[in-house]
Amino acid sequence: MNAPFYRFGLFGDNVSLVVAFVIGIGFGFFLERAGFGSARKLTAQFYLTDLSVFKVMFSAIVTAMLGTFYLGWLGFLDLSLVYLTPTFIVPQAAGGLILGIGFVVGGYCPGTACVGISTGKLDAIACLAGIFAGIFAFGEAYPLIRTFYNATGMGTITLPQAFSLSYGLVVFAVVLMAVGSFSGATWLERTVTVRKKEGQP
Amino acid sequence: MKKPLASIPINEKLALLIGILGLMAAFAGNPYSGYSVNLDTKELAMIVQKEVDHVAPAELADWIIQGRSDYRLIDLRSAAEFSQYHIPTAENVPVSQLSGYSLGRNEKVVLYSEGGIHSAQGWFLLRAEGYRGVYILRGGLDEWKDQVIYPSLPANADAAQTAAFEKMKEVSRHFGGAPRAAGREPTQIATPAMPRLETPAAVPVPPVPQKKKKEGC
Repeated sequence: MNAPFYRFGLFGDNVSLVVAFVIGIGFGFFLERAGFGSARKLTAQFYLTDLSVFKVMFSAIVTAMLGTFYLGWLGFLDLSLVYLTPTFIVPQAAGGLILGIGFVVGGYCPGTACVGISTGKLDAIACLAGIFAGIFAFGEAYPLIRTFYNATGMGTITLPQAFSLSYGLVVFAVVLMAVGSFSGATWLERTVTVRKKEGQP
Repeated sequence: MKKPLASIPINEKLALLIGILGLMAAFAGNPYSGYSVNLDTKELAMIVQKEVDHVAPAELADWIIQGRSDYRLIDLRSAAEFSQYHIPTAENVPVSQLSGYSLGRNEKVVLYSEGGIHSAQGWFLLRAEGYRGVYILRGGLDEWKDQVIYPSLPANADAAQTAAFEKMKEVSRHFGGAPRAAGREPTQIATPAMPRLETPAAVPVPPVPQKKKKEGC
């Protein structure tokens, strides 16, 4: 009952590919069923009329956070084996901005572009082609931006370490943030939609 | 305020649930402490017998030259010995401080000491604490000195050995060493001093956090 199963050698590379495939298909299926294969639905969050994407992503974060916290606390999960992405504050903020701009312009984020392609959406195909062009350009330009890419490295730092709070307290704070922003988002959707119907800016 | 539970919409029920779980978490304590390690002594014995936990000095030299940073090199000797000479990129952690040193349990850790005894003991120590990616530099600093810093060519070497020696010469110079030609090393350099650390190649480099492939939305 110990996770992560792959790290513990419970299955090898081949089985891990099958597991990844199954999880990927499941993830894509539910994204498509939630309407995330449509650029209209996805970009509606930037016009504040439909914040589903924000809510789904934050729900996923909260669910995973509570799950790993309690599994670790109960001793089923060795959290020290979970890979943490090192923090590079400035380049990651820049990358987030670029991804966000690309999201507004293209209408998809990388994962949802694949979901859109599964139902044959041409804009999703164009978006994914753009993503690959961007990956290629990044690879070619890497020697030029290498210094920036590795700048402001902070190592693998977590919120409890950064603010010297207990893990449980951070979990509670994120839950409060989630509940607060969910109700805030629902209020915002209603207000903006009503105003748009009334013809106000 | 009194509402029957059935009349509460599902999303409010879920919000209530995560609110309760979150509040409980605030008082639950550290999620890292719940996990305990089970030592499989048979598995450890197999690893020892098959020597899969060894890293050859030449292999480590290649990693350093390539600038790989997917591993941590730990020098288990005293601080005085460390300041005299250490393998580039190494971090100095005496055996007594190994337990509790900030190493990730998902990191690859290469241990070395003068010979092989301390690193073998450190290996068991870390394995007992649940570290799985622990390796030993084969032969410790002694073998590093013999094979990387001052590699030598046997007098009756065959073609393959000579080719390997030619390659090793370059590696040796990178680390500030001196390759020894066949037959004359015992008299000329009986106890070779370690190269000084002033050379730029030997400056200890702090571990740079390495970016790995990330998963996005």
